Amino acid sequence: MRIVIGYLYPSVMSQYGDLGNVITIVRRCQWRGIDVEVRELEVGEAVDPGHIDLFLVGGGADTHQRLVCEDLLKVKGEGIRQAVDQGAAAFAVCAGYQLWGHHYHTATGEKLAGLGVFNAHTIHRAAQTGTRLDTIARAGSVRAVGNLVVKWGDQILVGFENHGGRTYLHSGARPLGKTLAGGGNNSEDGWEGCVYKNAIGTYLHGPALPKNPRLADHLIRAALGRHYRDVQLEPLDDTQEIVAHDRATERALARPSRGKRLWGQGVG
Amino acid sequence: MPSGKAGPLAPVAARAAAVCTGKTARVLSRALGRGGGTTLPGHLAERIDPGLVHGLGQAIPNGSVLVTGTNGKTTTTRILAGALRSAGLEVITNPEGSNLLPGIATALLLRTDGWGRLAVSPSAIGVFEVDEGAFRPAVAALSPRLVVITNLFRDQLDRYFEVDFVAQLWRRALQQLPATTTIVLNADDPQVAYLGEDLPAKVLYFGLDDRQWARPGLEHAADSRRCPKCGRDLLYGLSFYGHLGHYACNQCGWRRPDPRFAAWNVELQGLTGSRSRVATPAGDRTFHLPLAGLYNACNALAASAGASCLGVDMDLVQAAAQGVVGAFGRLERVRVGDKQACVLLVKNPSGFNEGLRLVLSQDGPRWLLAGLNDGGPDGRDVSWIWDVDFEMCQGRIALMAVSGRRARDLVLRLKYGGLLDPGPGPVAVASPMPLLVEEDMVRAFFAAIERTPPGETLYVLATYTAMWTLRRELVRRGYLAPFWRQARFEETAAG
Repeated sequence: MRIVIGYLYPSVMSQYGDLGNVITIVRRCQWRGIDVEVRELEVGEAVDPGHIDLFLVGGGADTHQRLVCEDLLKVKGEGIRQAVDQGAAAFAVCAGYQLWGHHYHTATGEKLAGLGVFNAHTIHRAAQTGTRLDTIARAGSVRAVGNLVVKWGDQILVGFENHGGRTYLHSGARPLGKTLAGGGNNSEDGWEGCVYKNAIGTYLHGPALPKNPRLADHLIRAALGRHYRDVQLEPLDDTQEIVAHDRATERALARPSRGKRLWGQGVG
Repeated sequence: MPSGKAGPLAPVAARAAAVCTGKTARVLSRALGRGGGTTLPGHLAERIDPGLVHGLGQAIPNGSVLVTGTNGKTTTTRILAGALRSAGLEVITNPEGSNLLPGIATALLLRTDGWGRLAVSPSAIGVFEVDEGAFRPAVAALSPRLVVITNLFRDQLDRYFEVDFVAQLWRRALQQLPATTTIVLNADDPQVAYLGEDLPAKVLYFGLDDRQWARPGLEHAADSRRCPKCGRDLLYGLSFYGHLGHYACNQCGWRRPDPRFAAWNVELQGLTGSRSRVATPAGDRTFHLPLAGLYNACNALAASAGASCLGVDMDLVQAAAQGVVGAFGRLERVRVGDKQACVLLVKNPSGFNEGLRLVLSQDGPRWLLAGLNDGGPDGRDVSWIWDVDFEMCQGRIALMAVSGRRARDLVLRLKYGGLLDPGPGPVAVASPMPLLVEEDMVRAFFAAIERTPPGETLYVLATYTAMWTLRRELVRRGYLAPFWRQARFEETAAG
């Protein structure tokens, strides 16, 4: 068996260790004897919808949003949409998630058109509240930063979120799950992420896949499902993954997600 | 804390009350063994008198110097302060790495008289290292005559959110500085170098001009590969570490500025230090630095550029570099029986990569302890370990001990890095590294030391609070002196 990963914008959309998601998929395939190829798709490179089985896209700085956004619309958009409609899997995190919705309203009030894979839109909290982002404290006041725990079916997913955008699902859109800790989509309705066919959009980074091996396998199974019927994945020894998952979940649920700094002790 | 007014107290009385409270807190803090009292006094004093840093800072006869950046600010500050001391100046500094405004406030209030007035000699100058996020308020409060910026790496995104955002805050702060201020910038860091465009202040660059340490291509931890001017891809002719190198944009033509202070012929002497030739406007010099790594050679370069702007003789800078003492957790050595530990603070992917490279730079097996915590000062988000190239450890590690509250995340990083045995399956790891998992940092340290052979060194790479926990215990057991005592010793020894 064989799958091809499309790693979108590795140089600008890989801010929060997102490479870890790619490594995780690659290893979990290799450990099972599944051939895996990673294609890096930078700005300017088009997507052939028949060739990619799993898209991975991570978080990026706000300043890169426009660049990526333009490329998504003009160069890659049609290919990605077709592939996803044909059943390709996708895992879009943070900024990747936001830009795969209908539109993204930036901190300065600019409205960027998105890919429209997810039936949702995002508004930066600073635009909602009219906050000027001119100090660390003000920038912090509009962001959701902390551990994020999500109930996904009978599973619990754990990761870290760090975003200023608030995402609102439109009617009929399916969320990934309910938040048990952290803000999730918008810190208002208790939902986190969005699912369309085999594509998942989420604010879970950390990166999410190493500590949530069931989610990683779900994506691998979906990607294989494009070419093979009734895919059964060989079980792996996930003892280490499960311990790491449980320890992180424990920490996330044990205390409020916003940490406090003692006496402003700085770090050299 | 700029919150609140001075209240019903008259300004002079408020200042005196603030200073008195701060000094009392300092004495209590140390007496109670709560640490060095390096930020709490300033924190309390600022509550009472929010104008404290501004008021005392403006009274320093020779003004202030601010050093900021992600990595290397403590070392740069130390060399700069040392050079100024040997030039006969009285240096007010925050040597303990307490680099938010309360830390600066503490350093200042310790130099006041009973009325809360600054009591220093006419030769006094302030040399402060400042946290990236506190740079803007520090500039506003102190109106520095000189600013040194070492570099800008991705660090603690849960506190600073985005690298670009920090650069923007710095830019706004620098734009406020007049033509009488000098700004010293790292030419090799595109985002830092670009800060120097269109400023009223005078700008001067430092950089590396040494091909032998250049790497092919950028490492994954590189943070800014984009032209800060037009957003297109930067082309790198040389790449040193992280995103530091010689670059140019072939879209808009913006390129690395030519540095006035340049180091070449850098000779790295393992963990003991380095020797480099430095071109300065006053001629070429050889620098002997007792601190290891290319990044420390860059710190010495930054400090010498800064000192030169203040008119300090290059001979004195050379001597200060040669005599610099490693800061808290920067390759600090501890003797434990017939073994040794070497402790290195790591905060971000580029620092961790440089640390690993240093540890692996000479042949032979290595005993390692990696400590990862997720407290506020560490960064609550541990995702950055996925951008550290642990893969370079392949085949070199005799023991890998992992510790800290997020030790389990490190285990996964190593497992997915192909360094541990993944269990039954078609892929076997040739030589999985011997692993020791112990979340308690102190227990992990002594267990790892136990497994380190006599005469060998255990290398400890740990985040801030993990290192702090270990260090406190090593002090308690008499292996190390408290860090504030070291710092004070250094002040008296130099002054």
